[in-house]
Amino acid sequence: MDDLATYRENTWCPGCGNFGILNAFKKSVALLEKKGVARERITISSGIGCHAKISQYLALSGIHSIHGRAPATVQGMKLANPDLKAIAFVGDGDAMGEGLEHLLFAAKRNADITVIMHNNGVYALTTGQFTPTSEKGFRGPSTPRGNVEVPLRPLTLMLDAGATLVARGYPGELDHLSQLIFEGIMHEGFSFIEVLQPCVSFNNTYDKYNKLTEVMYGRPMSREEALAISQRTDRLPIGVVYKTDKPVFHREIFGEWNPVMKRVAREERLKKLKSMLSP
Amino acid sequence: MGEDVFTFLVGGKAGEGVKKTGAVAASMFTKMGRHSFLMDDYQSLIRGGHNFTVVSTATRPVYSHHMRADVVVALDKRSYDEHAGHLKQNGLLVYNSDTIDKARGVGLPLTTEAKKYPNPSLRLGVGAVTALAVSVGLRKSALKQLISDEYKRDVEENSAYSMSIYDAAQETMFGRFKLENGDSHLPMINGNQSIAMGSLAGGLDVYFAYPMTPTSGILHFLAALDRELGVVAVQPESELAVINMAIGSAFAGARTMVGTSAGGLALMEEAFSFAGMVEAPVLCVLGTRPGPSTGLATYTEQCDLSFALHQGHGEFPRIVASPGSIEEAFYLTSEMLDLVWRFQTPGILLTEKHLTESEMSVDIDVERTAWPQPMMFQEGSYRRYMDTETGVSPLLFPPSIQMIKWNSNEHDEMGITTEDPVLTVKMHDKRRRKGEALVHHLKNARTVNIHGDGDLVIFTYGSTTMSVLEALSVSGIGATVVQPVYLEPLPIWELEQFRGRKALVVEQSSVGQFSALIKEKAGIESQSTIRKYDGRPFDPIELGDQIKKV
Repeated sequence: MDDLATYRENTWCPGCGNFGILNAFKKSVALLEKKGVARERITISSGIGCHAKISQYLALSGIHSIHGRAPATVQGMKLANPDLKAIAFVGDGDAMGEGLEHLLFAAKRNADITVIMHNNGVYALTTGQFTPTSEKGFRGPSTPRGNVEVPLRPLTLMLDAGATLVARGYPGELDHLSQLIFEGIMHEGFSFIEVLQPCVSFNNTYDKYNKLTEVMYGRPMSREEALAISQRTDRLPIGVVYKTDKPVFHREIFGEWNPVMKRVAREERLKKLKSMLSP
Repeated sequence: MGEDVFTFLVGGKAGEGVKKTGAVAASMFTKMGRHSFLMDDYQSLIRGGHNFTVVSTATRPVYSHHMRADVVVALDKRSYDEHAGHLKQNGLLVYNSDTIDKARGVGLPLTTEAKKYPNPSLRLGVGAVTALAVSVGLRKSALKQLISDEYKRDVEENSAYSMSIYDAAQETMFGRFKLENGDSHLPMINGNQSIAMGSLAGGLDVYFAYPMTPTSGILHFLAALDRELGVVAVQPESELAVINMAIGSAFAGARTMVGTSAGGLALMEEAFSFAGMVEAPVLCVLGTRPGPSTGLATYTEQCDLSFALHQGHGEFPRIVASPGSIEEAFYLTSEMLDLVWRFQTPGILLTEKHLTESEMSVDIDVERTAWPQPMMFQEGSYRRYMDTETGVSPLLFPPSIQMIKWNSNEHDEMGITTEDPVLTVKMHDKRRRKGEALVHHLKNARTVNIHGDGDLVIFTYGSTTMSVLEALSVSGIGATVVQPVYLEPLPIWELEQFRGRKALVVEQSSVGQFSALIKEKAGIESQSTIRKYDGRPFDPIELGDQIKKV
């Protein structure tokens, strides 16, 4: 697995939940390769924040994007070349705040991409402000008397927007998480994986997650059941919450076409333009 | 002045087929072998209000509509009141006698006749076309053919309606005008179509756009032709999605373009800078309408020049060019696609509503276009941001066994994030050298159009060029028109020769952004300026008069 590492010095805090996500993802790549998905077909993107550094620690092609836009960036990759497996790493502030529209619409149109959300409930790299998923009462430098807003529930939102695979994982269950990521990437359609990520510096949730998470055995089949699970706070079930098959966006738009691999020759284009330009 | 030009103006409410009437009139002139220019003036509404379309035609190229008309057809009272004054001395004023009480000109019962058919308001335009056809002596059989060619629906009803109007009009106005046939037989297209076709000739693979006047026409045109021409046209959730998807698409190797107006580009601005940093070849079409903010959503101005030139935070090379005619828009779009790929940096095709939504007879040679051939990685170990003499690094697209990293953070040659001061300088210098290489490249290209050779030097750019050329043509003024096609980098090397000459600047800006640009960058001092900023394009005769005063 070391051949997936780059020379970039890892600057996450010791004990950060992101290490687990990185390791789980590397294992998922190994699973993908076993399934015949060549590594060169995997392209990644990340937004801005602690999560985003993952793209610098993985020796995979892709774009270190800007805040909130990674889901849009990878949708562009996928539309241009549907042979690619396009994966966006996003943060909770990054994708539920600044870039929420892209997340919702990627789910709505069933874009064939995978979004892995590092949900630590805090803007850590900017020193601990509350995010869209922070619990009510969360104290940070911008909310010294406590956050007054009710958090968004990522799984609920994604189910409602039309995501065709919705899952939740926890780095404390590393192999389980890598299996979820593998399944998400193999899924044809929009897959969303929320990863419960403790932040040791600003929102240490290890104890809470170790206590509340539980691996789901057997899968809830209906949307109603999935929605109910997505809203639970007494227990935090991890696993695939919902999965269904629907036509994917790029096939609905252009079928089996591939814009970069099946490009029309210049002569053919010009011939058609010439006939369009005859009065 | 402009006697060789015949002009038809039709006005009415939105929903009465005014725009279509203009297009059919233009098609009639095209069939006569004549050149035409069509301008649509419409409001931001769906039904009602006041719309008008002007078509000017001649046996020579016409670069602008003329506001003084030979035939005015007023479908409603407001059109009559607004446009009766646009009639030439011997012009013909035709009005809908069902909506306007007895007035000067020829009244035709356009609505009464239309009520004999379903959807009467949709017929009014056919009545206007018929009035025009009668006035220029078109035979019934030719008119019937025109109507069945141009109105695909309700052919029989439209034809019957048209003949009843023809009969009512024949006696008073048949053959009032004699229009010579020409020998040009050129197609008429609008600027949006020209840009879309130019992009296809330039190898466009993927187009992203969020609806916004005045460039939505590009999206509509490409979406309709996607399967036939092998292009993908997508409307995402916002301009933010548009530009970020475009960068992802370019990363995967697709020649990608986006289109918007300045409000949309403002939303794209953060990612425009992102494109500069990751060195993404993305072309953005910016169709200007009057600002600030929503401004006049369906009108024209040149208020976004500075905005385009300074798009995106941080320092990186930008390419901004503006076509001076609908024909030039075709060639320039393919050329810009080539340039953004050659130098791997974002570019803006700056234009205005007056160009994107006006139509003109065009003589386009599709072979005179560029097909991007970017510098590709050959062999060895790939480094996305390899430091080269020109600053341009070879490209490689996934899937590849090599690692291809694009990065919005400052990065090393591999594309891995760095905060190192030495590498920071190195990468700044690399991007700066790309800008220098771009200038070097443009020095061997046509970057400024010079029309005519009179003593007076007129500086202008974009769609205003068409207005100036038509004004000079109809007023008989001899002048040298200098039109920089490239605005960033500004071709100072071409403009320097005009320093010290008696210069007039014509632009559609209230503060004179273009005057300021050529003064600051090229040392051109304008002795006088003509500025228009009421949202309407210049009328060539009025503009000719203003130039004469200079």
